[in-house]
Amino acid sequence: MLSTRAVSHAGRPRTLMHPGAFNPVRIHSRHSAGARHIRLVLQPGQRLFDALVVPLQRADVSSASTTILGGFFSHIDYCVAPPDPSGQAVVAYTQPISAGRAFMIFGNATLGKNEQGAPVVHCHAAIRDEDGRTRGGHMLTQSCIVGDEPVVVLVTTLDSFELRVSFDSETNIPLLQPRGRSEK
Amino acid sequence: MTEAVVEIGSMGRVAYARIGPNEDLVNGVEKLCLVEGFKNAFVRGALGSLVDACLGTLDGEYVQVKGPAVEIVSLAGEVRSQTDGSLRASLSGVVADTEGKVYGGPFVAGANLICMTFEVTLEEWLPKPAKHSPKR
Repeated sequence: MLSTRAVSHAGRPRTLMHPGAFNPVRIHSRHSAGARHIRLVLQPGQRLFDALVVPLQRADVSSASTTILGGFFSHIDYCVAPPDPSGQAVVAYTQPISAGRAFMIFGNATLGKNEQGAPVVHCHAAIRDEDGRTRGGHMLTQSCIVGDEPVVVLVTTLDSFELRVSFDSETNIPLLQPRGRSEK
Repeated sequence: MTEAVVEIGSMGRVAYARIGPNEDLVNGVEKLCLVEGFKNAFVRGALGSLVDACLGTLDGEYVQVKGPAVEIVSLAGEVRSQTDGSLRASLSGVVADTEGKVYGGPFVAGANLICMTFEVTLEEWLPKPAKHSPKR
């Protein structure tokens, strides 16, 4: 909800209490000496997940940060994250919201691996839905279908480390974290 | 008329970070540069969530978007080293509230605390030293 008017001061930020113990390390980072950049063209009719993952796997890319430059999708599902009524975490994703045939205005998608090593994509985007409303949230990439025209993506590869989902005890949810390629 | 600034340079290292909850978005990106030793950098990709969002307006005031969580759906910006040796991140973007409604603007430093996680990829920017033109 937007505050009813602009305010003359930013207001004091709220510090939320998460269910798990506070981790004193707040920034988990890794770097590579350089990145490869790839112009990837998502093909019509494909699921967003497959259109991103399969060609990048063929290019030997398993961890990457990508920018979806925008384009039509024949279907988009997304969700948002209001407070978790169960209290297991501070927030939880809603059930899928169908945007129908929609235009993705801009998106960012992170490619990594799940706990078992299979590809995962974490994608947030701004969209214009079938009813003409501009919306945003967490894209459900398995049920977003690229429309009739290809969609261009700029890929920045992360080569000397990997992104892997691991359980984060502080927030009580699994999250993508950077780690060395040889770490177990 | 003031001349445009053209800075020639190249990309250096690339860093990815997960920044934890209750850290400030803008200060967190600056601290990531401290961790990685980047003096100048561009944001190459970012997504995550905020407790509430605080975005600057044209008249110098602020708009607050109530969460949690407010999803970051677009983010662009850079980090620049300052003449006094400090680092300054300038980040702007689009956020979505708990109903999916979107708002945009510059993120106000110190007022955008991360809710669950913030994933960011920075690419180091290495400016080529400026050549001093000979005096005529």
